Amino acid sequence: MTNVYVHGIGMTQFGTFIDRTMKDLLLDACIQALEDAGNPKVDAVFVGNFMGGSIYNQEILGAIVANELGLGFIPTAKVEGACASGGIALRQGILGILSGEYNTVLVAGVEKMKHASTADVTQAINAAMDNDSNEKHAGLTFPGFFGVLANRYFYETGASKKHLAMLALKNREHALNNPLAQFRKPTTLEEIMDARMITNPLGLFDCSPMTDGAAALVISKEKSAIHIRSSAQASGPTQMQDADDLLSIPAIRESGRLAYEKAGVGPEDIDVVEIHDCFSMTEMIAIEELGFFNKREGWKAVEEGRTKSTGDKPVNTSGGLLSRGHPIGATGVAQIYQLVSQLRGNAANQVDNPRLALAQNLGGTGSYSTVHILERV
Amino acid sequence: MKVFQCNSCDYQSISNKYVCPKCLKGKLEELEVPSTGTVYSFTDIHVAPSEFADIAPYTVALVQLDEAKGKVTVRVNEPVQIGDKVELENVEKGAYLYKKI
Ligand SMILES: [Zn+2]
Repeated sequence: MTNVYVHGIGMTQFGTFIDRTMKDLLLDACIQALEDAGNPKVDAVFVGNFMGGSIYNQEILGAIVANELGLGFIPTAKVEGACASGGIALRQGILGILSGEYNTVLVAGVEKMKHASTADVTQAINAAMDNDSNEKHAGLTFPGFFGVLANRYFYETGASKKHLAMLALKNREHALNNPLAQFRKPTTLEEIMDARMITNPLGLFDCSPMTDGAAALVISKEKSAIHIRSSAQASGPTQMQDADDLLSIPAIRESGRLAYEKAGVGPEDIDVVEIHDCFSMTEMIAIEELGFFNKREGWKAVEEGRTKSTGDKPVNTSGGLLSRGHPIGATGVAQIYQLVSQLRGNAANQVDNPRLALAQNLGGTGSYSTVHILERV
Repeated sequence: MKVFQCNSCDYQSISNKYVCPKCLKGKLEELEVPSTGTVYSFTDIHVAPSEFADIAPYTVALVQLDEAKGKVTVRVNEPVQIGDKVELENVEKGAYLYKKI
């Protein structure tokens, strides 16, 4: 139990916004969250961001938020944890409140990617791998890691490319109902299966896109209807060749285990889930590592539709990274936006009367993972 | 091929660590093993970063070494399947380049 509560949420449209600056997106989400919270006094700001420095030449995001919003001379920081930057920023805010130092914290996440070339973004994303390794020199890429994982998964289970396609289609169908999602064009299993190959067996629809966008939250020790029941974080191997079991991502499993333990609940108690589906294969592994389904059997749950918004364990009702979009630093915060909306009862793909919600945010190929469990009180 | 073996548990890695990440107490010791192994899994990378664009599509494999517990990530000069036998051909710019046996 953290006894920290969510008071406000904000999120921009995710997509391609060539005419909007990173500051504009960031402040937009923050103002929405502050208004939603009733404009409380803010004691600190944490901003999740991954590549503002490398492809947008902009740092000091925390101070910019404080200055432009007139929050006063309060402490702020930019938090970097690759694709888990947003989840770690939230956790830093929670820890700041738990320490007694702050009452109320503004947590935000932002990324601006669509102005840059795919080659430049790919290069920047590779910063989330251990570049001083024989593995990187062999030419392994970020998607390549999950391609290797998928081929082994197919080999050891009854799963095939079709199951990854079903998962990607599920997230696209969820995004169709989410007005803030990047991809709202219907697709088919055939189109997903036949799409351009990125890294065997993963095709275009198995990979999350480049996205511009921002999201923000106001959290406080003052009570609200949404309690952050637990916050957990773990690290894991930064190289594929160091994995004890290739079909396991220890950072996901360990952060989940810690979050359940701190919250005093188990996977069976969770009503709605946002998972870090940077690739279709990542969601497949995560639904197993978080204990929703048995190891090496997640594909059966996907086949049976159990992770659809209408299933018994709805996963990524926002559309996930694959179809809501993946503005890297904003993703972990946007997951919380969707879950708070679910608990408030006004989400896209609203599930029936949820009480407990879980968000899992991954950084690197298993380097970082955060899990937050939210509760409607 | 060099691998690093924990002196107090069965952990092994292709790269050295300060303390064994498995038992959290052992130290890793260098061990020389044959480079031959079996493809544990693989991918063919079609969309490559700029530094590898001129050789795409290319194959990266995770190889289970025959006489060691450790695995190693390598580039193979032709497409492979899980279970294929492979061996080291060359070390180039820090990468292990393997070929089918
Ligand atoms: Zn050991």
